[in-house]
Amino acid sequence: MSGSIIGRYTRRDFLTHASTIGVAGVLGVSHRDAAAEPPPEVSKIRIVRSPSICLAPSYLAEELLRLEGFSEIEYIAEVSASGSKLLADGQADASMVPVQETIPDIDAGRPVVLLGGVHSGCYELFGNGRVSAIRDLKGKTVAISSMGAADHVFIASILAYVGMNPGKDINWVTTGSIPETMRFFVEGKADAFLAFPPQPQEMRAKKIGRLIVDTAVDRPWSQYFCCMVAANRTFVQRYPVATKRAIRAILKAADICAQDPERAAKYLVDKGYERRYGVALEVLKGLPYDRWRQTDPEDTVRFHALRLDEVGLVKSDPNKLIAQGTDWRFLNELKRELKA
Amino acid sequence: MWHAGTNHESSERTGPLRNLPPQTREGNPAGSRLTAKLLSLSRRHALVLSGLALAGWVTPGLAHKPKGEARLPKISPAPEFTLTDQDGKAVSLKDRRGEVVAVTFIYASCVDTCPLLTAKLVGIQRKLEPKAASKVFFTGITVDPERDTPEVLKRYGQAHGADSAHWAFLTGTAEQIDDVTKRYGIYRKKQPNGDVDHTFLTSIIDRSGTLRVQYLGWRFDSNEFLGDLRLLLREPRSG
Repeated sequence: MSGSIIGRYTRRDFLTHASTIGVAGVLGVSHRDAAAEPPPEVSKIRIVRSPSICLAPSYLAEELLRLEGFSEIEYIAEVSASGSKLLADGQADASMVPVQETIPDIDAGRPVVLLGGVHSGCYELFGNGRVSAIRDLKGKTVAISSMGAADHVFIASILAYVGMNPGKDINWVTTGSIPETMRFFVEGKADAFLAFPPQPQEMRAKKIGRLIVDTAVDRPWSQYFCCMVAANRTFVQRYPVATKRAIRAILKAADICAQDPERAAKYLVDKGYERRYGVALEVLKGLPYDRWRQTDPEDTVRFHALRLDEVGLVKSDPNKLIAQGTDWRFLNELKRELKA
Repeated sequence: MWHAGTNHESSERTGPLRNLPPQTREGNPAGSRLTAKLLSLSRRHALVLSGLALAGWVTPGLAHKPKGEARLPKISPAPEFTLTDQDGKAVSLKDRRGEVVAVTFIYASCVDTCPLLTAKLVGIQRKLEPKAASKVFFTGITVDPERDTPEVLKRYGQAHGADSAHWAFLTGTAEQIDDVTKRYGIYRKKQPNGDVDHTFLTSIIDRSGTLRVQYLGWRFDSNEFLGDLRLLLREPRSG
């Protein structure tokens, strides 16, 4: 639990919210008679829509969000800003986001809060014939969507882990978007790029490139979440019931992805998130969507914060980032209320 | 373990810190303060502590007590419903106060997950001890009321070997089913081929009518589910 979030409530606000959404458990009074869970304080919620289908639970959650009492669900496309920045700027309310792009935003004091982990393993680092290991990237050209975007931050974190300096050792080329990074690589304009689903599946199908890091299986990356649920801080503070209901919808959707990937893949195709059923199914079957109950999200924040600190992408120490940019209360309640 | 019987004889040789090497005590200011406090105990204090220890009240004794059972959260009052069972009789959730109730959602012509979920719940019921089984009630509410008449549901229950004394397969009007599915958070959509796409969610309700935990899907651990049922049966009924 993040003390700073609580600290911004008045005592009365906090106790009122605690009594309505069950956060009373935190106060040690969880076994009084249950009150009916109130409807969300707002009827509209805005979710980020990214080109990557590894964020499938965010999309599958649409119908579940309606059942949670939201009558208007708007998907905001990532065009010129990352999902984390859309949340921080108040253009979106809650969503799944890559954790690596959110940590620098928290460090910069932007009002975005991490609320729980969802899954690990959606990134794969591909290289060409000149690259067979991470250290081979020294002096090479790496395509990224933009400086500070999730792909840049994640590759920088990988480089830091093996003792390389992303500021000096790499020739970064920015392409403007995640799909464009793959095109740059395929056309030979870059030696490596970080692929987001469905790109890794496309690379394998076309037998292009060499897989350097598979974050689904390669330690230490496979041990930590890559995608987490986050929200705008003001939204969380003003609308705790809506926040909990939104997280529940996304985590239920994650369970559906894990338990019934065929149904989830069909949904993604029917709704136009991915046109190829086989690719959607491969993505959903390959990622551990049931991990949100087992893995401690705080470990993920601490791990990446240390890596990003090593390469100068964040200035705050992990404890400060955790205090000012995380809130696990809702997740901890849902872990007890929703089993699978 | 603090053996109180020796405290009053020689405070130098007794107390919880007596076996620690000196450097440990010196290197730990909190420990040093505690040691000093213990050494300053008077004979009268020591006798009082001896008495408390004999009565089993001293803290170290509590450390050896088994940990209390984890309790399930009280989520909210369970959504009420009155529907029609496989025998054509009305069944209301509120009539089941005093029993632990498991509520799930199925439909009889479902060929993939529903039979697996129903079979799992029937298996769980059979694993309950007879006394416990008599206090647990299972309900399978149809998400396909147009096709699932009481007769159809009766055949479905019989096919799965569900004990009809403690199982009800429920149906109702389209509006009733629409209402109960929404209130339990069940997504439901009829497909062109007649299948009903729906959320597989099983809710456990305690003897006072409070929703305590929900299980998503059908691959959950039967023993964990059984454990939750037994836990709720042991709880005193409130409200």
